Amino acid sequence: MSLAGAQEIIGDGMPTPLAGPGDVTRGRAIIIDRQKGFCLLCHSGPFPEQRFMGNLAPDLAGAGSRYNAAQLRLRIAHSARLAPDTIMPSYFATEGLTRVARPYVGKPILDGQQIEDVVAFLLTLKEAP
Amino acid sequence: MASVLINVPKAVRKGDVIEIKTLISHPMETGFRSAPDGKLIPRDIIYRFVCTFEGVEIFAADLFPAISANPFIAFTMRAERSGTLTFRWLDDKGGAQVETARLDVQ
Amino acid sequence: MRSLILALCLMSLPAWAQAPKTSSFDLMKPETQAMQRDDASNPAMLWIAEGRTLWSEKAGASRKACADCHGDVGSLRGVAVRYPAFKATQHKVITLDQQIQICRVQEQKADPWALESRPVLALSALIGLQSRGLALLPATPAEASTLAQGRALYEERRGQMNLSCAQCHDDNAGKSLGGAVIPQGHPTGYPLYRLEWQDLGSVERRLRNCMVGVRSEPYPYGSPEMVALEVFLRDRAAGLPLETPAIRP
Repeated sequence: MSLAGAQEIIGDGMPTPLAGPGDVTRGRAIIIDRQKGFCLLCHSGPFPEQRFMGNLAPDLAGAGSRYNAAQLRLRIAHSARLAPDTIMPSYFATEGLTRVARPYVGKPILDGQQIEDVVAFLLTLKEAP
Repeated sequence: MASVLINVPKAVRKGDVIEIKTLISHPMETGFRSAPDGKLIPRDIIYRFVCTFEGVEIFAADLFPAISANPFIAFTMRAERSGTLTFRWLDDKGGAQVETARLDVQ
Repeated sequence: MRSLILALCLMSLPAWAQAPKTSSFDLMKPETQAMQRDDASNPAMLWIAEGRTLWSEKAGASRKACADCHGDVGSLRGVAVRYPAFKATQHKVITLDQQIQICRVQEQKADPWALESRPVLALSALIGLQSRGLALLPATPAEASTLAQGRALYEERRGQMNLSCAQCHDDNAGKSLGGAVIPQGHPTGYPLYRLEWQDLGSVERRLRNCMVGVRSEPYPYGSPEMVALEVFLRDRAAGLPLETPAIRP
């Protein structure tokens, strides 16, 4: 699976945005939505109104200080390209998957705009936990 | 007739406070759920449970949609004499399931 | 040097295998554990009662009851902990529920019951109850190829989320997915009453839930893949006592 053009990987980042400018409010809503991004099943983070956040993955607090936009974009869109054995889903992938449920075949978990929204929100998380 | 399990203790002495346990098979459909086609599934619950001992009511409960499927209802009574316990479950469809069990007091 | 080799060997095992094998019974609240322990409050016992009725009921063109061939159901003690099993007459490994279906059609000459139907689950629970407390058995040599297929399926990443059973239940057992502690996933209590279902269901129903959860197309009930997974999971759990019919959240 090669990622050409807009999804090109340079170093450990994906510098080209997948859609228009990300919206911080939409990004936060996607992260806390257990059906859309379902991020909090694995990650904890600075979301005081959220309960029962998982502990399978790093805390999202400070993500905006640890990584730049390109790095965040790659880690969300195609995490498997960085770490093949990761449990982090590749949110923009539609190929290289096995036995996808019928309603989701050919569709990425999040579309390009949703990923840009999530990246935009994560960039605002400057304080480490 | 729905499956029912009734548990009445054995080896009961006069004056003992005993626990009667009942289980009945029932979906307890709340009326708030939707089918895959989007239509509301109609409410269908047991709304009242009554237990009488030798004809005298000793326990009754009004049930509401918050009660889970296959309701487990347990209550205590003081065993003074032997006799027949009669259990009644009344449901939204107008049905009444009636079961009896023997209480033997030594 | 020997202790270094031993340490390296232990490190190659999945995380949970370095810890003792545990049933997810241990993860439940005391109230739920009490519900399972008390046969008078366990809703699964309603299915057991139905199973007892079916056991003695003459059915089909043969007008035979299970009891006519098997006698008292207690004679089936030890059966549930060795299923799925290789059945020479079927030339393949079959599950206990599939065996019940075969008896119904071939011996009772009655019309078939579907897998996951109420009568099949009632009898499966009743037969399982006869083995309550006995240790789950490892796979036999006749089940070896099915076991290998099951292992491969267990380790295969699947679905839109691209996750395998092993990634959660071997690598991350004991950690929390949202509010739920990930169990090791041993099928010690099936068929069981799941509070989420408000219903009694088989291990295959539970596996279908997981597959749907990672957005993968589930395998049909009784499919070769499901049978293979059942064999693998039983073998993986070997030694743990059967709790059928269990309760789970």
